[in-house]
Amino acid sequence: MKEIKGTPRSAALFLFLAGLLCVISGKSFVSMHRPEPIFPGPGLSELKSLSDYLPALKNSPGDTEVYIFLGKEKGGNLLVLGGTHPNEPAGLVTAVLLIETIRAERGNVFIIPRANASGFTHSDPQEGNPQRFSVATPAGPRLFRLGSRLTNPVDQWPDPAIYINPAGQKLSGNEARNLNRCYPGHADGHLTERIAFGIMELIRKERLDIAIDLHESAPEYPVINAIVFHENSAELAALAVLELQDEGLEIRLEASPAGLRGLSHREWGDHTGIKALLLETPNASHGRLKGRPSSSLIVDGRDKFYARAARLGWLFVAYGDEGIPLSHRVARHLAALGALLRSLAELEPDKAIEVERMPPPAEVQQKGLGAFLHPPN
Amino acid sequence: MIKVRLFYHLIVLYLSLHLLWYLVRRKKIWSQAAAALVLTLFLLRLFLIK
Repeated sequence: MKEIKGTPRSAALFLFLAGLLCVISGKSFVSMHRPEPIFPGPGLSELKSLSDYLPALKNSPGDTEVYIFLGKEKGGNLLVLGGTHPNEPAGLVTAVLLIETIRAERGNVFIIPRANASGFTHSDPQEGNPQRFSVATPAGPRLFRLGSRLTNPVDQWPDPAIYINPAGQKLSGNEARNLNRCYPGHADGHLTERIAFGIMELIRKERLDIAIDLHESAPEYPVINAIVFHENSAELAALAVLELQDEGLEIRLEASPAGLRGLSHREWGDHTGIKALLLETPNASHGRLKGRPSSSLIVDGRDKFYARAARLGWLFVAYGDEGIPLSHRVARHLAALGALLRSLAELEPDKAIEVERMPPPAEVQQKGLGAFLHPPN
Repeated sequence: MIKVRLFYHLIVLYLSLHLLWYLVRRKKIWSQAAAALVLTLFLLRLFLIK
């Protein structure tokens, strides 16, 4: 075969193509820095930023919105955190769904949908994940970003070889960018530690009583379909689980390990005394056994490899050919949240929190998320 | 952080210039194409686009 010779002209052409490729791919990367719109419902009382609680976060990639719903009657104060790990979409979507629908009747509700805002601006390298996933609504598809578990390295770099978090736990270096390993945070630490400290400041300044961190995990991970609880909320979590199991919803109780430091369910409870809980739902797009990652894998949750793994007994959750769709995972979070609030009202009536217009979990499962989310425009 | 970032920029700029020089000097067209592809990634890194 005859070799085609390179010339200065062909070099210039390739240089031009490289520049063009940079512009096209650069635009795509930069688009991840634009947050998806959230359309708060009429129940919203106030919109604040995390930097209102920790001014050091002002104009930084770690600043994020805090949606506040003030109740008509006095009661407890609740924090719901979505997007601690931006690659666990049920957390973000549940928080958005709450922001767009609820009204607080008693007590106050604080919702942070994108706890690690920087993590939403990039995706995990070498995973082949889509940048966004699409939830169908009657007025058209609504797009949400699928980010990374970790803060964007552009915002926090370099990682240490070994990360010793503010609670003294030794971890691998990249965990320095994992928000759920950086509690209780540090006012003048690196960005992720500052975000964690900002959330702790919110808990302290708003005198919160209960905080719930929404997560997802891979079906082969043992802590799944679970409520992870700090020991000071053991009774509350147990009561909620009894209610959920009575409704036919299988959910496990997992005690927060005292020796595993830096996590929300441990440090929130230890440092502020609030009832700290973390919820996990099963997400096939998050696991190692999945097939091709795609928006439909995230939303429909159907994966033949996971169905096979379930038949082989490799999973910690029932997983059939129909998969576990995002609407079911969000419904699980809503059901657990509802049960926790009812249990709190039973155990501590003066700290009761009543929320109206929260989409009923059974209807979310049946009608899908699009029936409750605001239209895309 | 600023010093480390500057150091990173200098390293990536140095390697990008090497790639550019390689692209211009190669006499094989496929070597030029390969250099252009790698250069794309380095340019994105240089401008911290992620």
